[in-house]
Amino acid sequence: MAAGPLSLIAEVTHRCPLHCLYCSNPVEMQRAEAELGTEEWARVFGEAAAMGALHLHLTGGEPLARKDLPELIRSGRAAGLYVNMITSGVGMTEDRLAGLVDAGLEHLQLSFQDVEETSANYIAGTRAHALKEALVPVIRRSGVAFTINLVVHRMNLDRLEEFLAYAEALGPDRLEIAHVQYYGWALKNRALLMPTEEQVRRSLPVIEAAKARLKGRIHVEAVFPDYFGSFPKACMGGWGRRTMLIDPVGQALPCHAAGVIPGMVFDSVRERGLGWIWRESAAFERFRGDEWMSDTCLACPRKEQDFSGCRCQAFLLTGDAAAMDPVCVYSPEHERLVELRRPQPELLPVWREL
Amino acid sequence: MELSSVPRMAAGCRVHATQDVLLIPEGTLNLTGSAREILLRVDGEKSVERVVAELLQEYEGVDAREMQADVLGLLRRLEERGVVRA
Ligand code: SF4
Ligand code: SF4
Repeated sequence: MAAGPLSLIAEVTHRCPLHCLYCSNPVEMQRAEAELGTEEWARVFGEAAAMGALHLHLTGGEPLARKDLPELIRSGRAAGLYVNMITSGVGMTEDRLAGLVDAGLEHLQLSFQDVEETSANYIAGTRAHALKEALVPVIRRSGVAFTINLVVHRMNLDRLEEFLAYAEALGPDRLEIAHVQYYGWALKNRALLMPTEEQVRRSLPVIEAAKARLKGRIHVEAVFPDYFGSFPKACMGGWGRRTMLIDPVGQALPCHAAGVIPGMVFDSVRERGLGWIWRESAAFERFRGDEWMSDTCLACPRKEQDFSGCRCQAFLLTGDAAAMDPVCVYSPEHERLVELRRPQPELLPVWREL
Repeated sequence: MELSSVPRMAAGCRVHATQDVLLIPEGTLNLTGSAREILLRVDGEKSVERVVAELLQEYEGVDAREMQADVLGLLRRLEERGVVRA
């Protein structure tokens, strides 16, 4: 494995003022006192850049919960990385944002839960919608590149057209439509959030029309939910091939959901250099190459593209992390997935308590 | 995007200091051929015409019409992608 990771995801804290139904953070979160310090993060950013990483994604929890966020941004830039931040906006003020932009923040992503306030707040488990809306002009004035992320699922997918028009009026540089991914907390609410096949089918022309209409003004990106595909997606470009995630206490993971796989041991940047972890740690080596793949995948030409799909999803749906992703039509468990796509009876949501 | 337009990089888009990639929010675009040289001249002050003229000076023997088409073609594609604005 010669090449290093292209992007580093830094989960700088698990603290978060929201309690989203679809939170993909692990159900067991890392405590604040144990978080990596400013200097430790700076060292990690430097090591990642030295291995060839280009992008740094500051995420959480809510990155704003860290008082040293400007220093983290500054050290990312000093290392030569492109600095992104994913935020709920809670805790942002005009002054704070100016400080972040001054420190070198290049792109900010803010997600919206729904077009309609009551429903948005219901989904976020917090009354954050109006606050986010008020923040948009502040963000636009700051000049930072700005993406609005629309999180879609069964409860709001039917309103996508309205949701898009709402987001367009807010005037971001980019618009992302992202389906909930069913890891971490979101898995508890899967039956409630997973859209029906019919909803997904109806959403496609709506997305295409928005792309065409907004071309050259707002770049629209949509991630098709792979639960509805016939073939899986490569997991983040392949396990241990492109991305490295560092959690708040310094554990290095090949993906943010990798902790669900039993027996995974994650090395910490407190004990090991990033280069060693990337090249040699058991967690990153676990699903590289193809020795671990099922015979069906080994014989399949698509394995070079999808690497047998998502490991976490394979585990969550089949109990075997090395199984082929059940999204694949060749999977013996594919039927179970088809079952999940059917409309479900109304269920009660499970919010994350803090 | 016309010859008289004055293009600039969109917010959050920049050419990497040493590598042949354009860094954009959430990703990178590979720069091939003369793309890097063209984009390094996109600064919100020079017109497309001016960028072409500079490149022609730098690379002797390149056909002016071809250069113009290359520059305009690239900038138009990137404008559509939301990476360059005019
Ligand atoms: S294994 Fe699944 S959850 Fe993990 S990175 Fe791959 S796609 Fe994502
Ligand atoms: S058989 Fe395996 S490699 Fe082939 S498409 Fe399915 S998951 Fe991918």
